[in-house]
Amino acid sequence: MSAFKELTKGIFKENPTFVLVLGMCPTLAVTSSLKNAIGMGMASTFVLMFSNILISLLKDLIPSKIRIPAYIVVIASFVSIIDMAMAAYVPELHKNLGIFIPLIVVNCIILGRAEAFACKNNVFKSALDGIGMGLGFTLSLSVVSIIREILGAGQLLEIDIMPQAYIKEPMLAAILAPGAFITLGLLMALINIIKDKKKEVKE
Amino acid sequence: MAIVTKILFMAVTSIFINNFVLSRFLGLCPYLGVSKKIDSAFGMGMAVIFVMAIASAFTWLINQYILIPANMQYLQTIAFILTIAALVQFVEMFIQKTAPALYKSLGVYLPLITTNCAVLGVAVINIGEGLSFLASILNGFFGGVGFTVVLLMMAGIRERLEKAELPKSMQGMPIALIIAGCMALAFLGFSGLNLG
Amino acid sequence: MKVYIHYALVLLIITALACGILAIVNEKTSPIIEANMKEEENKARNEVIEGADIFEKQALSNGSEYYVAKDKDDNLLGYTFIAIGKGYSSDVQTMVGINTNFRITKIIIIQQSETPGLGANCTKPEFSEKFHNLKTEDLLVDKDGGTIKSMTGATITTRTITKSIRQQLEQLEKEIVGVNFISGGER
Repeated sequence: MSAFKELTKGIFKENPTFVLVLGMCPTLAVTSSLKNAIGMGMASTFVLMFSNILISLLKDLIPSKIRIPAYIVVIASFVSIIDMAMAAYVPELHKNLGIFIPLIVVNCIILGRAEAFACKNNVFKSALDGIGMGLGFTLSLSVVSIIREILGAGQLLEIDIMPQAYIKEPMLAAILAPGAFITLGLLMALINIIKDKKKEVKE
Repeated sequence: MAIVTKILFMAVTSIFINNFVLSRFLGLCPYLGVSKKIDSAFGMGMAVIFVMAIASAFTWLINQYILIPANMQYLQTIAFILTIAALVQFVEMFIQKTAPALYKSLGVYLPLITTNCAVLGVAVINIGEGLSFLASILNGFFGGVGFTVVLLMMAGIRERLEKAELPKSMQGMPIALIIAGCMALAFLGFSGLNLG
Repeated sequence: MKVYIHYALVLLIITALACGILAIVNEKTSPIIEANMKEEENKARNEVIEGADIFEKQALSNGSEYYVAKDKDDNLLGYTFIAIGKGYSSDVQTMVGINTNFRITKIIIIQQSETPGLGANCTKPEFSEKFHNLKTEDLLVDKDGGTIKSMTGATITTRTITKSIRQQLEQLEKEIVGVNFISGGER
């Protein structure tokens, strides 16, 4: 696959959230505001890219039987690094994302890509795969959070978007847990419809 | 407060008020993935309860007696996830030897408990909320129970749903998410429960 | 047997390298993290007692601390303390400023992870305004017979904040003035 395709497949064709259905926990938890969603997306992309690179570099040195614990150590290290960096340089975002920062280590997207791609491909391609998947993840997080923040708080990036009357009594359920599940479910159904339409057009 | 009352309150809090799946958003991948049949859901639930309780115990001890004295709290993530991975490995070998039928039915889902964010999540929450050793184990145990309760409810609903006619775009993940949303809505009702 | 030693060695090397790198990152970032926390508290302290130039730390017998606030001429302006309570889904930390009559000047929520749209509204001015000029006896939620109206759908958060402030304030009064106002002291 060409380098460009490696990079972009994570955005639409193999979008981790809507196509591969991975990384559900952060998708539902941090999408109550667009700022948090983008922050989480960027942090995950950082970990994804660097662990893909390192695992690809070390792929011939790690015996297959112990590859899972080895990958876990690599991923956990990058998660710890980004955790400390965020606590130091963006403390507000760090507080908002809370336990979901260390939980990036069990985000199935990262271990999944390490298993499925980084251990079988060269460093350059693995890096692109990591960046692409990370961007796709950030994109889906953003889409969900835009819907939830506008409906649930009438704001986007804490700027008032809806009329003041709406902001006084917004659709709270959108920001709370049920809103997360239902928004994501409806979005997935929508994407299924689009995919089927595309298939029909092709045939 | 009598110790039994305290434990009861903890149970209600971890299972209903702050349900790990529906209000803390932990354990979602298996919740959406393994909830198609009641039997496998039950087996998975039991395994998760066990792992969450024991993981809470071990991670608490490691944090208290190794990380804190050595001032190495920044290694918490690595230490915890490696402990959990090792634990799941042992549980897997144990189940393989003692209950091969269960082992077969759980299949690939057993090693996946390692990446179940509920396990690492409860370990981190225990430390973050400053719970005692015993309270951490109970939190892990009841958290697992809450996960299982919700998992079984979801499996029951989905088994029924097999016989219903759904629009093609809704089949699979979308309808599972919407059901989860309705359940979350219901559980939101517990949030007013103030226990001591 | 040799294979297992090989496995263990590889894992050990990777883990050791990881720990080493993390130790370095920790060295670099933990001073910044600590400075951030102190900075935040300082900001909050200055906000709850206006015009204060000097803050002196003092300890309470229950293990917590409070600050004596004075202006640049060393006149006593009041005190500040942090009240911590277990909220619905997180610990809620409130910075409280009181004047020399032990009435609340202002409160600022400095740490919380409550439910967005419900408990998290405690950070909005509409909530913190409710506490202005209250004394210890007034610190009760409406459900407990007091004057503080609970936030919609966030009774636990409201009660926790109110209770934590009240408890700390009582302790402060007891130790600074030696009088328990609730059981009949004069203010």
